[in-house]
Amino acid sequence: MLRYLVRKCTGWLLMIVAATNLTYFLANAFLDPRANYLQLRPPRSPEQISRSLAQYNLSPDTPLLERWWSWVTGIVLRWDWGASPIGDSVNDQISFRILVSAQLVIGALILTTAIGIGLAVYTASRQYRFADRFHQGLSIITLNIPIVVAGLAVVLLAILLNQSLGTTLLFVAGAQSPGVTGFWPLLVDRVQHLVLPTIALVITGYAGTHLLQRALLLDNINSDFVRMARAKGLTRRQAIRRHGLRTSLIPVATSIAFAIPALFTGAVLTETIFAWEGMGRYFIQTISKNDVHGAVAVAAFGALMTAIGAILADVAVVALDPRVRVS
Amino acid sequence: MAAEIPGPTMRGPILPGTDLGLDGPRPDDPAGSTTPARRHLTRRRLYLRRFLRNRGAVVGLVVLGLLVLFALFGSLFTPFDYTDVDFTALTAPPSPEHLFGTNGTGNDTFAQAVHGLQRSLIIAVTVSLLTTTIAAVVGAAAAYLGGRVEKLTLGFIHFLLVVPSFLILALVSQKAGGDWRVLIVVLTVFGWMLSARVVWSLSTSLREREFVQAARFMGVRPFQVVLRHLVPNIGSLLIVSFTLGVVATVMAETGLSFVGFGVQLPDVSLGTMLSDGANTIYSAPWLFYFPAGLLTLLTVSMALIGDGLRDALDPTSRSGGRVSARRAARDLESGGMA
Repeated sequence: MLRYLVRKCTGWLLMIVAATNLTYFLANAFLDPRANYLQLRPPRSPEQISRSLAQYNLSPDTPLLERWWSWVTGIVLRWDWGASPIGDSVNDQISFRILVSAQLVIGALILTTAIGIGLAVYTASRQYRFADRFHQGLSIITLNIPIVVAGLAVVLLAILLNQSLGTTLLFVAGAQSPGVTGFWPLLVDRVQHLVLPTIALVITGYAGTHLLQRALLLDNINSDFVRMARAKGLTRRQAIRRHGLRTSLIPVATSIAFAIPALFTGAVLTETIFAWEGMGRYFIQTISKNDVHGAVAVAAFGALMTAIGAILADVAVVALDPRVRVS
Repeated sequence: MAAEIPGPTMRGPILPGTDLGLDGPRPDDPAGSTTPARRHLTRRRLYLRRFLRNRGAVVGLVVLGLLVLFALFGSLFTPFDYTDVDFTALTAPPSPEHLFGTNGTGNDTFAQAVHGLQRSLIIAVTVSLLTTTIAAVVGAAAAYLGGRVEKLTLGFIHFLLVVPSFLILALVSQKAGGDWRVLIVVLTVFGWMLSARVVWSLSTSLREREFVQAARFMGVRPFQVVLRHLVPNIGSLLIVSFTLGVVATVMAETGLSFVGFGVQLPDVSLGTMLSDGANTIYSAPWLFYFPAGLLTLLTVSMALIGDGLRDALDPTSRSGGRVSARRAARDLESGGMA
């Protein structure tokens, strides 16, 4: 197992390195940090701009390969991902933004998975009855509501709710209010901010798990081993949960693990709508502010998430399926 | 048996998407439809019946039809163009003059919605057509050629999947200044990999089959085999993946436009309208309602159609009557493809 994991990780590491470097060159081709200095008053001469950029290793006068080399050595030797055109350290930005995004994404991931699988078990054991058909239809609709529409609709409803209550129960913008101190007030405040974006992500996300898990469970629910479990005296519900569900969880676990990077991308739009200063917002800011190093760091983070998802998928299969042996 | 089955390979290549699957890809067999005693169904009638049995799919088709009509002829119902500015009505709520109201600069929201829906539809359909075509050819060719070509292609696909495509999309389309044609190219370049992989895995089992081997040993050129024998046999999958591709592209395009990296002003798509509406969601909610409603109707109806098509084209489906024995045999022969 360990050797298998090491081999897999090495492969993914190579992929990440290649993807990150590719993004570095692409970002250099498409983003022009000089634009950030053009609107400054008093106007700067091109030489002044180049000199300012040179201290952040962004000067277009330095050959690209030379810049690339000092960028790479900075990462390898000092774990320094560079600086934005106005000198903010990328490391500082990313380290706190990952935590902000993680609050949102991890909570949503757990909820979508739990709701999706729970609903799948419920509907699959009532195949073609009203509850099944109703949730099937509902899931097809929610799965295809664009996240932007869902997010904005949630915002609108929350504003109406807050107005009818006369107080701000749920915040529609930001990850936390400034000036809140103490453990419990802070926790309550965080939750008040977290509820709405999580709802938006869960509404659009649970249906994928539900539909997939339902289809897989239906393949297994009438199989011999479930009938055998019933014959041994388990109730129908126990038989489905312990025997039917376990086998059909495997592909779902794979698809959830692969959904992690997609969730972070989905969070780009959610974070924009709810004004969360997470990785998704950072991604948009780096591109609109011509921040080459920041954009590349976001790309590396995205590739890392994909790799983690893929490795988790492999581990999940091994853990869930006793037939799979890795050498 | 071999004489009975002329083989599913004798048809011309299906262009994915040009045919929504209501028509059988093969010419109809008149003998099959003129024996009422055993109620043999032609392939076309069978697909149609299965599709129509699915109520959601029919609703989806009707809604999509209405949306297309709206995009084509909606501009007849308003004297305004989407670029026209009405200074007497800034951020005006819906009224007989401005059916959907106006936005902060005085643009008529109805005219913008017609134009935006057109934009989003054109982008989505073109991109999905292109990605499905590329995925079919690349996936099938990789499977058929095998060896080093296959390994290289799969490696390339995996690599493109790791590359954060949303970021590169944003990079390139922002540079292009919101030209929707550039957006089509970029969305295509980063949109074909997943379905190419699915096509590849289906084609690996097809390539071992007798009719493909026969074509190979008859000296048919590889490209010809891929186009004439492999791709038509995964036609139903391609049709379904085309419809679902439209949904995915609409979402990607509106998402990019929403954050300002897709279609940009002065051009209008449903995504840019949503980002307009997002800023005034409480004070002028009609700027959100109409684009959001149209967008949701578009994605949901397309998904329902895709779902219905998948059921209708699935050869293992037992709904909606039986096919004639000969067709059933052919179905078996191409079984498991949908």
